[in-house]
Amino acid sequence: MNGNGKKKKIGVFVCHCGVNIASVVDVERVAKALENYPGVEFSTNYVYMCSEPGQKMILEKIKEQKLDSVIVAACSPTLHEKTFQNVVELAGINPYQLEIANIREQDSWVHSDKEKATAKAVKIVKSMVEKVLQNESLEPIRVGVTRRALVIGGGISGLQAALDIADHGYEVLLVEKGPSIGGHMIQLSETFPTLDCSQCIMTPKMVEVSRHPKIRLLTYHEVESVSGFVGNFKVKIRKKPRYVNPDLCTLCGDCEKVCPQIVSDEFNMGLSFRKAIYMPFPQAVPGTYTLDIDNCLGLLPIRCGKCKDVCEPKAINYDEQEEIFEEEVGAIVVSTGYDLYTMDHLGEYGGERYEDVLNGLEFERILSASGPTGGVVRRPSDGKVPKNVVFIQCCGSRDTENHNPYCSKICCMYTAKHAMLYKHRVPDGHATVFYIDVRTGGKAFDEFYQRAVEEDHVLYIRGKVSKVFQEGDRIIVWGVDTLTGKKVEMEADMVVLAMSMVKTEGGEELLKKLKIATDANGWLAEAHPKLRPVESLNAGFFLAGCAHGPKDIPETVAQASAAAAKVGDLFAQKELLHEPTIVPVNEELCSGCGICVTVCPYGARELDPIKKVVKVNEILCEGCGACAAACPSGAAQQKNQTDNQIFSMVKAILKG
Amino acid sequence: MKLHYYPGCTLKEKTTNLDDSTRAAMEVLGYELVEPENWTCCGAEFPLTEEKIVGLAAPTRILRQVELEGGDKVVTTCAFCFNVLKRTNEALLKDPLKHKRINAYLRDDIKIDPLTKKKTTDFAEYHETVWVLHLMEFIKYQIGYDKVKSHIKRDLANLKVAPYYGCRLLRPAGEVGIDIPDDPHIFEEFLENIGCEVVDFPFKQECCGSYISVSLPDAASEASYQILRSARYCGADMLALSCPLCYYNLDRRQDRIKERFFDFTGMPILFFTQLLALALGVDEKVLGLDQHYYDPRPVLSKMHKTEVVS
Repeated sequence: MNGNGKKKKIGVFVCHCGVNIASVVDVERVAKALENYPGVEFSTNYVYMCSEPGQKMILEKIKEQKLDSVIVAACSPTLHEKTFQNVVELAGINPYQLEIANIREQDSWVHSDKEKATAKAVKIVKSMVEKVLQNESLEPIRVGVTRRALVIGGGISGLQAALDIADHGYEVLLVEKGPSIGGHMIQLSETFPTLDCSQCIMTPKMVEVSRHPKIRLLTYHEVESVSGFVGNFKVKIRKKPRYVNPDLCTLCGDCEKVCPQIVSDEFNMGLSFRKAIYMPFPQAVPGTYTLDIDNCLGLLPIRCGKCKDVCEPKAINYDEQEEIFEEEVGAIVVSTGYDLYTMDHLGEYGGERYEDVLNGLEFERILSASGPTGGVVRRPSDGKVPKNVVFIQCCGSRDTENHNPYCSKICCMYTAKHAMLYKHRVPDGHATVFYIDVRTGGKAFDEFYQRAVEEDHVLYIRGKVSKVFQEGDRIIVWGVDTLTGKKVEMEADMVVLAMSMVKTEGGEELLKKLKIATDANGWLAEAHPKLRPVESLNAGFFLAGCAHGPKDIPETVAQASAAAAKVGDLFAQKELLHEPTIVPVNEELCSGCGICVTVCPYGARELDPIKKVVKVNEILCEGCGACAAACPSGAAQQKNQTDNQIFSMVKAILKG
Repeated sequence: MKLHYYPGCTLKEKTTNLDDSTRAAMEVLGYELVEPENWTCCGAEFPLTEEKIVGLAAPTRILRQVELEGGDKVVTTCAFCFNVLKRTNEALLKDPLKHKRINAYLRDDIKIDPLTKKKTTDFAEYHETVWVLHLMEFIKYQIGYDKVKSHIKRDLANLKVAPYYGCRLLRPAGEVGIDIPDDPHIFEEFLENIGCEVVDFPFKQECCGSYISVSLPDAASEASYQILRSARYCGADMLALSCPLCYYNLDRRQDRIKERFFDFTGMPILFFTQLLALALGVDEKVLGLDQHYYDPRPVLSKMHKTEVVS
């Protein structure tokens, strides 16, 4: 009986799924067993219910038998629920009168005894009949969309995503925690496999972002918190005081000259120094100086105040305060990038002890024309041009026992690039690479690696390095050549470690604020590894760049554009539909104890202080059912999953 | 204060200087070292195979004896004994089944009184209550460098000492490691705090040749040569260590090294406890300095003879 006291006419359609189900479950017997079950009007089986003829059959049978509810016994509802909902809707039945009985993942795939599996399938389908008997017809909840996106992180992925979304015609807020956009890519010297200068291809994009009328660039800002849901997020953003007004700053550099505080320069990976008031690099966007308050002597004029004294355009303002403001957005692109695994994890290579053992990004700065050595390859300890450089790949990657289990993907290529660029700058030098495998999957990648070996005579040794140590001013590298089975000992003037890529330091905190899913290694988790690679499991969040896992530049750009396209899809909709299977409150039963408010993970429930009952925000409710389980008085009942339905289902299963 | 101390066989035989200096130094620091009654060999090698649990019985008996005598910790100076005892403890803690099976062996133990020939069979089980510590750890975490410093009588500042860890103090990292295997500092800290000048050298964790000294003496002497050469190159006057086997390879083998490597100049090898005892003002005669192949006394004479008044 349904809610109106009218008898239901249910159709049961049992799928073979080729042999996936039929080889373990006797589908004919299942269909037969259901024929005379109370409420069932019609029951049949078919080889592929999801196929065009299968769908057609359901449609015909609904009309022929005048069915008003349908059960498809097949695979998991996550795969084809939508398909069959569309079918019944075509036949004029409310889609919430359709149920899937999962007899594949929960039966045929996990059992081998045909008798028992068939009996189980019958029980599963019967329990679904009991559920459908009490199903209500529901309409999706409709909600508007804020057509404005937030992009977090101003590296190449964030810039590309912001530009693409803005070009679609939507407004974009681009939040970057550092003083300039550009990310790691702007630190690189040249890029593989074409060896074009990274800054030359990056800066036009940076300028475009800063000039785009649809992009609001918020550098030196951080995301404080995110609330709301897809299409309707509320984001709190914290503006960190820069103490310099970018509009007034003329980049004369007088402040930098008088600043007495000298600190290590992050942009040059600590290989040079900067002042406490600084511009991270000449092409920084926005082009302005920033006062790094952590390293400043103090803002009180009595402490120092030299920069303010010399600033002619009066751009420096010590009274600037931190500000927190709220913005509304409809979608969020997370492009927070990566960090390098720190060298102290590999004590045997001595990266932290020896000045001339560098990581990949440090070597990029040494190769870069804008770097601390002006593009001449010199080693940090004494400024000599190194004649022997050893490159070690997979430092911290592909080591399940001690470090990171994954491949960092870009190191083979950038090491080949490093070795090649080194040979171009120091033609009489020797470059040696220790590798486990050389992985060059990518367009024109293998040709590039071959060029390093054949044209630039880079020596590749297959094997790992066990130890790097310094004796006097010599660096000695101990390794093994696994192709000859011999131990290798060589002297080096400089060693470059291809450190593994890892999730950003401090990124974890941000991800907690966003409440967004990550995988075992801390990378952002995609909704489906193959079919939905740029969407997060959390609706409204999109992934771009290395925050999702190691990637090279072309792949990052492609993913960022894909994320932007997905944001475009979302914004193109008139309104968003929200699942109606939520948990409302029966105000007559609710005692206002508030237990459900505390268990709700989505903040969808709150206590009405006047009526002393709980109110539900239908849009925020995801229908997880936590409150329904917690409610002591039965006031919280999930739609189409009420306590009565669950009890009837349990009874049907236990009856045998 | 009484403290359980497991010396191990080598310290009673070939390297009495390690045993004597440990006792003398600890006496100055106020500890009376008590050996567990009827102790046996620890096995000297930790049995790595899963099934060979009988090999764990001997070290477990030693730990049980300490437990029976009411001790909650046992200190060793021999790196091998430390390694075996500590790993045995860890293995039993990690694997309750193994623990049960070993205890079944221990229950069957028979003790025969040498005089009356009477058999005793009511033996107890081991309950995992003993903490195995290397003396260097005990000094750092239990005594404290400050207390050691307050007892220092001799100034060792003129001694350039290279600390040599070897393998047994550091590996395997999860089970033993008195410090991080790839970048350890505890030995350096110890030497600094007793007043020596520490010489860092890259071979401090490299293998001395270990047991291969028996079957392939040349391989062992080459490994030992590399260690001594590097220490000398980095400016050390002497090498400090804690392992009797390393001591054998690095000190007693110096004649063989000299035959093979013409640039080899030799270097005195001292146990860390000998340096500790010296710093604490113990009479040099007690320390067995005459037992060394390379006589350390000429180098030690560089030390200020004047005693520090603290």
